[in-house]
Amino acid sequence: MNKAKMKRMTRRTEFYMTIVLILMIAIIGIVSGGNLFQASMIVTIFRAMVVDGMFALCSLLVMISGGFDLSFPAIAALAYSLSTTICVNNGWCETNPFMGFFLAVVIGAVLGMFNGWIIANFKLNTMIVTLGTQTLFTGVSMGLLQMKEITTTLPKSFNAVGVSYLFEVYNANGQRSTMTSTIILLIIMAAIVSFVLNKTMFGRSLYAIGGNEISAERAGYNVKRTKFILYTVVGALSGFVGMVRTCLAQQSIPKALVGKEMTIIPAVILGGASIFGGEGTVYGTMIAVGLITVVSNSMLLLGIGTQWQDFFNGLVILVGITVSAVQAKRQTKA
Amino acid sequence: MAEEYLLQMSGICKSFAGVHALDHVNFHVRPGKVMCLAGENGCGKSTLVKIISGVYTRDEGKVVFEGNEITKITPAEATRLGIQVIYQDLSIFPNLTVMENLAINSEITDGRKIVNRKRWEETAKTALSKIDCKIDLYAKMGELSVADKQLVAICRALLFNAKLIIMDEPTTALTKREVEALFNTVRQLRDQGIAIMFISHKTEEIFEISDDVCIMRNGKNVFEGPTKDLTPRDFAYYMTGRELTDDHFIPKKISKEPVLKVEHLSAGRYYNDVSFELHKGEILGITGLLGSGRTELALSLFGLLKPTSGTINLRGRDVKIKSPMEAQKLKIGYVPEDRLTEGLCMAQSIADNIELASLKRISGNGFTLNHKKIFEDAATWVKKFSIATDDPHKYAQTLSGGNQQKIVLAKWLSNDLDVLILNGPTVGVDIGAKQDIHHLVHQLANDEGLAVIIISDDLSEVVENCSRVIVMKEGQIVGHLDADEVSEANILQIIH
Repeated sequence: MNKAKMKRMTRRTEFYMTIVLILMIAIIGIVSGGNLFQASMIVTIFRAMVVDGMFALCSLLVMISGGFDLSFPAIAALAYSLSTTICVNNGWCETNPFMGFFLAVVIGAVLGMFNGWIIANFKLNTMIVTLGTQTLFTGVSMGLLQMKEITTTLPKSFNAVGVSYLFEVYNANGQRSTMTSTIILLIIMAAIVSFVLNKTMFGRSLYAIGGNEISAERAGYNVKRTKFILYTVVGALSGFVGMVRTCLAQQSIPKALVGKEMTIIPAVILGGASIFGGEGTVYGTMIAVGLITVVSNSMLLLGIGTQWQDFFNGLVILVGITVSAVQAKRQTKA
Repeated sequence: MAEEYLLQMSGICKSFAGVHALDHVNFHVRPGKVMCLAGENGCGKSTLVKIISGVYTRDEGKVVFEGNEITKITPAEATRLGIQVIYQDLSIFPNLTVMENLAINSEITDGRKIVNRKRWEETAKTALSKIDCKIDLYAKMGELSVADKQLVAICRALLFNAKLIIMDEPTTALTKREVEALFNTVRQLRDQGIAIMFISHKTEEIFEISDDVCIMRNGKNVFEGPTKDLTPRDFAYYMTGRELTDDHFIPKKISKEPVLKVEHLSAGRYYNDVSFELHKGEILGITGLLGSGRTELALSLFGLLKPTSGTINLRGRDVKIKSPMEAQKLKIGYVPEDRLTEGLCMAQSIADNIELASLKRISGNGFTLNHKKIFEDAATWVKKFSIATDDPHKYAQTLSGGNQQKIVLAKWLSNDLDVLILNGPTVGVDIGAKQDIHHLVHQLANDEGLAVIIISDDLSEVVENCSRVIVMKEGQIVGHLDADEVSEANILQIIH
């Protein structure tokens, strides 16, 4: 590895995040007297990463293009509530969950299209638009469709997906835990998003638009179309992630995801995505989600009450955004 | 015989909402020549460029490219013909690597869907080799200097077999040395047979680089022909439509006692042991290369950079200036180099900008503001400085650079001052407005007895306006020229 390459690597947020994650794990591991490394703890952390990680990937795509999507939890919530309700009412998905996922993806895509149509056509600030649609979608779910909580009557195949596991692990005291098989979905999604971002012109166009929208237009990109596709895809993915969440939680609660964007977006920023667009990687995002999950899941281990969770989340938000802004400043100065 | 002209445009008209932006403009570009399109801000230069590049459609007129008449130009058609525009903002992606910046346009044009690193690298290498330019392919674009960014933008344009490259005010953000390097590149391209259309309003540059000149004023072209048929004096006349007279500053009344006396002032690594005096009614020039400490010295006088030792004496009293607020109280004003980021609120009205520094004076009681009074006061400044606007309520960003600079001046002068420090007062300002600003400063010194410091590396500006000049180099004063010694040759001799 030559010097220039080394220098470039050490300047990346991802590099620091990896070090911070390793340090964090080491410190918590020692302070908790090794409890962090119990088999049950490790699978719990991975399980907690599945939904947040997939949401973070959705958010990453939007942030790279220079936008902010505040509406993805609302899209996911409306998609899974509606899809589950339809499945329950028709008695579908008792053996095969396909129809439930399919419906959620379609609903998510339609809602995402709505976002994309407004953002691309009227050239509005994405944060404001999705703030509006977030409220609108929640309103549709609660007011128009009167979505109800579905717990015990959840289709059986959804339950089956939720409890399916790759392998079992046992703690020293013999306590059994399982590694959720939905982790595979996270890995596949991360691989696909990474491929799209790095190896396709669509992915590079997101970076280009996030870097300089006017230049992207002049270079010949169809910015309007790209944005429309982006928000549609993100909507569809959000619907899918929402279904995964329903399966894992074994229940469909229409308001369960309220405020989720406020923990996901900071995580993505912490992972190296720029608040001004054009920067961000799948690797960094995954590391940051891992870090936040480790910290919030080890609070009990460390004897810190869960009421402190907001405090730490807030801290992470501030640190992440400050680092991102300082870096952007340094770059424009250089 | 090859065509005499690469591009011929005749009788080009374009109007926006009934206003003629271009009025029967004629315009020719010869292959392998550098042609300068000159004119003051708002004369229609950029409209003309946008018609050539296909962004706008002309209302009337004939365009002939390589002997073929072109009825309709679209951006894609312009690219196919070999017309490339390098915009002032360079149209680059600061977050991507040099390689991606170079390759991305042709990848899009080729309709590629999948990224092939090898092909990208190849394209990028080909691009850089066209002008033998050595830039790290994997460096991030945003981390390059403006000059290097420009080279990348030029290389990218060359990938499209460009026959005509249009450069929109390429020298605005460059240092003198970088401008030289750019000119070498331009000559290199010219010798390869590529026609260059160079948009500028800087006299020296135009005379140095161009073979032909087209000067526009108010949407019409007022001169077209070889540069050698033109003298700088004619040029200024065509640009502004008025005879510009040599306007050397002759101080009328210089106070006996200095108003400002700086003794052995130092500030860390910025400047060292600087001493000088400034009298009322005189204009003192401080010049030197970038990084000579000239700007930092000014910042210290305005309370923005703390000196480490030495004294500042104002009206016979030693003072410590810790903040711009204190400087203002001491009747010192500072007009920064970068008026866009430091001097003006672009999205506020002209009137508000002018009155920003003097709200306290206008308010009277210190709490409430009388908007009518603000506006009236602003209107008198607009008139006094002949700021080109029909309504002081309009945003500052609606004005040209020269007029914006006038606002910054008005802002400070609307406060009662003793010392006014101007840093690069006419950077990026066109000739007409430059003359106006100079004239204004002369008036202020002579009629109102203001003590003025002009910091500039534009030597002709220093020589024309300053009754005394201090030359700085590496943080030290290396020369002091009195009125009868001030000349460009003398200053240059001291700097080098």
